[in-house]
Amino acid sequence: MAAAEPKPSLVERLFADHGGALRTFFLRRIRAKADAADLAQEVYLRMLRVSDQEAIRNPVHYLYTVANNLVKEHAVLERRQASGIDIDEAPADEQLETLPAFDGDLDTAKRVLRLGTVLQQLRPKCRAAVELRFTHDLTYREIAMHLGVSPQMAKKYVAQGLSHCRRRMAQLG
Amino acid sequence: MKSNDEQIRNAISEQAGEWFVAHEAGPMDARDSAALAAWFRASPVHIEEFLGVSLVARDLKDARSDPEYSLEAILARANAGEDRDRAVQALRPHVIRAVRDISSRRWLPATAVMAAVTVLSVGLLFTANLRTPGHPGAPAGVATLHLETRHGEQLTQRLADNSVLHLNTDSAVSVRYSQSERLVTLLSGEVAFEVAHEGNRAFRVQTGSADIIDIGTQFDVRLERGSTVVTVVEGRVAVGPQNSSANHTGRSIELTANQQVRVADGEWPAATVAVDAERTTSWLSRQIAFDDEPLERVAAEYNRYTSKPIEIATPALRTLRISGVFATDDTDAFIAFLRTLKGVRVEATETRILVSGD
Repeated sequence: MAAAEPKPSLVERLFADHGGALRTFFLRRIRAKADAADLAQEVYLRMLRVSDQEAIRNPVHYLYTVANNLVKEHAVLERRQASGIDIDEAPADEQLETLPAFDGDLDTAKRVLRLGTVLQQLRPKCRAAVELRFTHDLTYREIAMHLGVSPQMAKKYVAQGLSHCRRRMAQLG
Repeated sequence: MKSNDEQIRNAISEQAGEWFVAHEAGPMDARDSAALAAWFRASPVHIEEFLGVSLVARDLKDARSDPEYSLEAILARANAGEDRDRAVQALRPHVIRAVRDISSRRWLPATAVMAAVTVLSVGLLFTANLRTPGHPGAPAGVATLHLETRHGEQLTQRLADNSVLHLNTDSAVSVRYSQSERLVTLLSGEVAFEVAHEGNRAFRVQTGSADIIDIGTQFDVRLERGSTVVTVVEGRVAVGPQNSSANHTGRSIELTANQQVRVADGEWPAATVAVDAERTTSWLSRQIAFDDEPLERVAAEYNRYTSKPIEIATPALRTLRISGVFATDDTDAFIAFLRTLKGVRVEATETRILVSGD
């Protein structure tokens, strides 16, 4: 659809930053559910500590930043525990760069395949709305036009599709 | 069988999906941002689900449900599936209470006549009046199904003909399907209907004050202090006063999408008004939506669902106009929202939420 390479969205940056640390965290979390709850709990506690102004202006951006920072810290911590290296001996930046190459790529491919199957379970219009949004990067107004529904309805379809995929993926994990 | 935890998770996932879309659809205004921040602060589970939804959204860019994923192919699939696209909206029914029909002669397994939505398998029973001697009042082959929800509960039930009933909080219906008619009697509360069209068998809803005949559609019927409010989401519906047999007489009026009529006992004809039907049925996704409405009405609506009712202590606040979309089962988020209002003080006690001016 788009001729020019679109600017990476906020969400893309979230999972691209820090060598995919957050992505990996979620992969791992699927295997060890306690981890995920811990992460969420910590993000939550940190978000409670910030002033209203900061978090309210752009809550999503704020959430992503907090989550990323936390995962970064966890990754460093885990590596230290795993290797027995004293973290104080190496600068934190270096620690991050030498993080193990995540097995994330293989898992991502598997997960993307699985998502394709989960998509098939959606109601036809809902599935189409999700695909138009994410595969073709159409706006909600454009999706609405193509499907002959209101933009509100287009948003509803995509929201329902997202939550369905999320739940199914969590259960399948 | 879904556990309660899972139902709550699903509900939160849905909210996360809605927030994600609201966020990416364009800049949110200050009010929405504040509400989202409040939602994040309400629970770590909200955060977990939002991050989970974010990851799915990222991965969906690469996911393909079919090797053919051109715009045309996607639209062709959507249109081909449209007829089948009457599936149940994912609702989170809580517990359902089995209600025993005192006129019942025998119990049958639910699957015999009605396909129960899987999540409702517990305790859902129906009774059947079969052709039994000494029971002349009961028409032959008519099955009666009773459905009920308690305060704060919702329930979705797919019927044998693929029509779907969504019961809102504090609601009760009885359903009788015969060979000539599908009859639903709304005894209390509110029900949204997605009716599967059948050429030779009408779908009819009766309340104390109104008689509604569906002409292939989705609509919502709510009982409110002696009157019946009918809102059409999609398609057409004929509404008449009670016992008019709706479209069989000249006394009925016909409603189309986004039209609403309020039928009070003994008052006919009733006036049709234009409404946003999506808002009227927002309870289907466990939300209530308000657009510039007085706090008094918002509180009354909210109190339909909560165990901790809102009480407005300062009369002047009753007319304070507010807008927003709220989850009916997330009291904390609602309190957080109220606290963002200027000049409003909120005090949550064990039994109620006290709203006063400061």
